[in-house]
Amino acid sequence: MVGLSVGEKNFIKHGIAQDLRNDGRKRLTYRPIYVETGVIPQANGSARVKLGATDVIASVKAELGRPSVSHPDQGKVSIYVECSPTAEPSFEGRGGEELSAELSTALELCLLGGKSGAGAGIDPSSLSIKEGKVCWDLYVDCLVISSDGNLLDALGAAIKAALSNTGIPRVQVREAASSDEQADVDVSDEEFLQFDTNGVPVIVTLTKAGRHYIVDATSEEESLMSSAVSISVNRQGIICGLTKRGGAGLDPSVILDMISVAKHVSEQLINKLDSEIEAAERANEEEP
Amino acid sequence: MAGKTGSMPATYSPSPATRKKKRISIANGADWVRPDNRSFYQCRPAYLRTSAVSTAAGSAYAEFGNTKVIVSVFGPRESKKAMMYSDTGRLNCNVSYTTFSTSARGQGSDNKELSSMLHKALEGAIVLESFPKTTVDVFALVLESGGSDLPVIISCASLALADAGILLYDLVASVSVSCLGKNLVIDPVSEEESYQDGSLMITCMPSRNEVTQLTVTGEWSTPKIHEAMELCLGACSKLGEVMRSCLKDVVTDSKE
Repeated sequence: MVGLSVGEKNFIKHGIAQDLRNDGRKRLTYRPIYVETGVIPQANGSARVKLGATDVIASVKAELGRPSVSHPDQGKVSIYVECSPTAEPSFEGRGGEELSAELSTALELCLLGGKSGAGAGIDPSSLSIKEGKVCWDLYVDCLVISSDGNLLDALGAAIKAALSNTGIPRVQVREAASSDEQADVDVSDEEFLQFDTNGVPVIVTLTKAGRHYIVDATSEEESLMSSAVSISVNRQGIICGLTKRGGAGLDPSVILDMISVAKHVSEQLINKLDSEIEAAERANEEEP
Repeated sequence: MAGKTGSMPATYSPSPATRKKKRISIANGADWVRPDNRSFYQCRPAYLRTSAVSTAAGSAYAEFGNTKVIVSVFGPRESKKAMMYSDTGRLNCNVSYTTFSTSARGQGSDNKELSSMLHKALEGAIVLESFPKTTVDVFALVLESGGSDLPVIISCASLALADAGILLYDLVASVSVSCLGKNLVIDPVSEEESYQDGSLMITCMPSRNEVTQLTVTGEWSTPKIHEAMELCLGACSKLGEVMRSCLKDVVTDSKE
């Protein structure tokens, strides 16, 4: 949290009311997004996203696992966020733990969809290898390197970029002799399959400060937030998840208004992000 | 105190009965029946009771169908020494499951996710300025998990806070809906939750018409969100009335 004087707070608040924020942006403009993919060679896929001074890394690791009893035809995806004390001294010990847990929960809510898999960014049934026997377990680990507000949107973008960078080895199932034994699998180390990341939603957080709301708040602006609503929207304009932060209550009509604004903003964000990811991938190919 | 034990438990369900019928015929698979034979927009019968634990400053017990929850509130009491000075009060929430609450044993212990959700749902309703330097502890224990656990915990916790005499802007009522195919189902049981396509949970302060917490998962179109929110808000205000009458009953009973 940033300590701001009353005067500074008023300055920011009035700027927002006049649609001109401290860094010259309008209320519904994002900071420039910078995407770099393939930053972690040990992972199946990874990406680094910078949003102004906010800097996060996401990595995707795939491991063979056993599908759960309730959904034998689906793989599992889990998301963990780590807030390192290098980003901010307040993240040391419990402080970081609390924020990490909050961000992980919000990301799982926004990106993984319902229990049956509807609205999920990654179709869990595409991770199945042999029903009831083997499946891929996807571990998405995120690290907050530097924090200047709007962590959730940046993490969401980083996960989307990391997933489109992910290659899952092709797997061949050898017919097992008896049906209850662990299936015999051949993991190829040459052929990799890519995910279809078209359906992965982006997260748009609208922060309410005073009577207006803004996107992509810096930590200064976040310190005067009364409440914030994070909405994840996919390319079709369908809402895949929503959470609210902050203590202040909101009128139901305001929330509906926020949803329609978020849908509008998400269109631009998805296009921007996709072109950035494509550029990053192209730069990767040229390098070696 | 146990004024209502003998009588039928109070029920609530969102109001317009005519609309209910029309919607169901439109919905696909109208012959589909819910596991407990409720109609799609009918909530489970709610049984609420305050002062369930005598040693706590305030407590409440809630039973919605098979979901049984007990919440105790302690405080306001002095914050831990390690905490920094704060001119507003602190709220500490903890949700735990008993080992026998779910069909698979040992799912118990603390649930950090639900604890933070409970905290977020309640903090907006409590007048924290009224108890500076101190902490209010809210401990929730799920005795039996039968679906819609979090909404029941939240509603029960706000009742316990009121019972403890902690200043609130309003009671907090919470209701969730599940999306199953094209159908919206209010107050889902565990079975419905396990194969739902999406869920939406609202916690609100009915008389202020303010939403303190809202979570959505799964695929939702905008009109569907509208519909689900309306449904939930209607049910929340009904539930709010039931909670209010539960608090009033205690007072009138003790006078008699």
